[in-house]
Amino acid sequence: MRIMKNLQNFLYDQEYFIDIFQNCLHVYYYEELLSLSDTLIELKLKEFILVIEGEDLSISSMDKHEMLMKGKINNMRFKR
Amino acid sequence: MKHYILVRIKTPKKTSLLLKLNRLNVDIKEISYEKDCLKFLILDKDLKRVKKYLISFKVEIIDETGIYKLKKELKKNNLIITGIIFAVIIFLILSNLIVSINVIHEDSTLRELILESLKEKGVTRLSFKKSYDEYESIIESIKEEYQDRIEWLEIDVEGMVINVRVEERIINDYEKDYSTCHIVASKAGVIKSITTTKGVAEVSINDYVAKGDILINGSIKLNDEVKANVCASGSVYAEVWYNVSANMPMTEEIKKDTGKMRYNFMIKKGTDETVLLKSRIKGEKRVENIYLFKIFGIEFYLQKEYEVEVEKIKYNEEEAMQKLTELVREKLDLKLDNFEEIIAEKVLQKELKNNNIYIDMFIAVREQIGVKEYFEESRSDTNDEEHNEYTNRIN
Repeated sequence: MRIMKNLQNFLYDQEYFIDIFQNCLHVYYYEELLSLSDTLIELKLKEFILVIEGEDLSISSMDKHEMLMKGKINNMRFKR
Repeated sequence: MKHYILVRIKTPKKTSLLLKLNRLNVDIKEISYEKDCLKFLILDKDLKRVKKYLISFKVEIIDETGIYKLKKELKKNNLIITGIIFAVIIFLILSNLIVSINVIHEDSTLRELILESLKEKGVTRLSFKKSYDEYESIIESIKEEYQDRIEWLEIDVEGMVINVRVEERIINDYEKDYSTCHIVASKAGVIKSITTTKGVAEVSINDYVAKGDILINGSIKLNDEVKANVCASGSVYAEVWYNVSANMPMTEEIKKDTGKMRYNFMIKKGTDETVLLKSRIKGEKRVENIYLFKIFGIEFYLQKEYEVEVEKIKYNEEEAMQKLTELVREKLDLKLDNFEEIIAEKVLQKELKNNNIYIDMFIAVREQIGVKEYFEESRSDTNDEEHNEYTNRIN
């Protein structure tokens, strides 16, 4: 997964990616995890803060710049 | 290769822990949320940092992953694994080892010759077995080396034992050329049929001939002058007579299986047989041995013990007579070929004595009586000792 993202990043020269799947969300290259709860996750990206609201939200995998979260996502906003 | 470790951290504040882990920039994956604890995979270098900075949390290592898990398992079970490897090596060594070489032939000099030859070619006791092709080339070289002594050779590998089956070459070396012969009568009788393929027939059907009479002459004559000498051939069947004396007891024991069978084990070393378990068949029994395997010259057999009951049959005079004549007929039939047969039979005398029946029988048989008798051309119709000896050998 990371190899593909690195390749995409290299080819498109993008700063970040956000992939939305059926009941999970994959964010690549976030800068900071601002808050985390069952209903709200806030991630700081380069140009905005990504606010994810939902139910039973949980982190499935994470490292310094990449995060995969699961749960029922009701709302997603960008705070600039 | 990244070394991930499966860990469990006990905490009621899972989100708080995840935030702290995020602050530490650790790489974690496959996070599962359990009651009052969090289970996830973490890199071993990150785990050290977690243990260093999150000292208030109790980190429990559950398992390793990938090759490290295999390493851990191997380390844990090293004694068993070493034992298995050692056993496999021992098994491989033993299964490829020759513990005994048996040369199967009655001639001890030939046996020693073969053993010596095999030794020269590296097939000895406590050496490793060779491949099929190697054995084939050894067979060929031994046959070539002793082509005047060995007709056929086979190497049969049975487990750890090598059986060498050998057939000795028999060379018939007759110095003289006995190319002229008569067909003479081997016994007295009345001629019933005569077929000549070479030579001149000297007798006709229903002629009485005595032992040694010429039946087919090898000397071809014209006006009492010998024109040619050949080796006479053909078949002459005559009626010959036998007087046979036979006896048998009036009672006979017949053994019958009762259907009860029990297993046992038997070991055999040379001719010594030892039954391993106590027999569970009381009384009379019949034994059947099934070969299992052979190790260090000791053969192991599965033994089937059948219970038998002995039935005594008492014959009356008529039954005993009938049985005895059948036995005589069977014995005589064994000696006869396809064209020979019993023509007539008659019981001359019978006697009952000490619970036995004794009979004297006269039997007339249609039998081939012609045998070759060699002669030298210069001494026609005579035969020297060597000729007779050769004739006897032929017959």
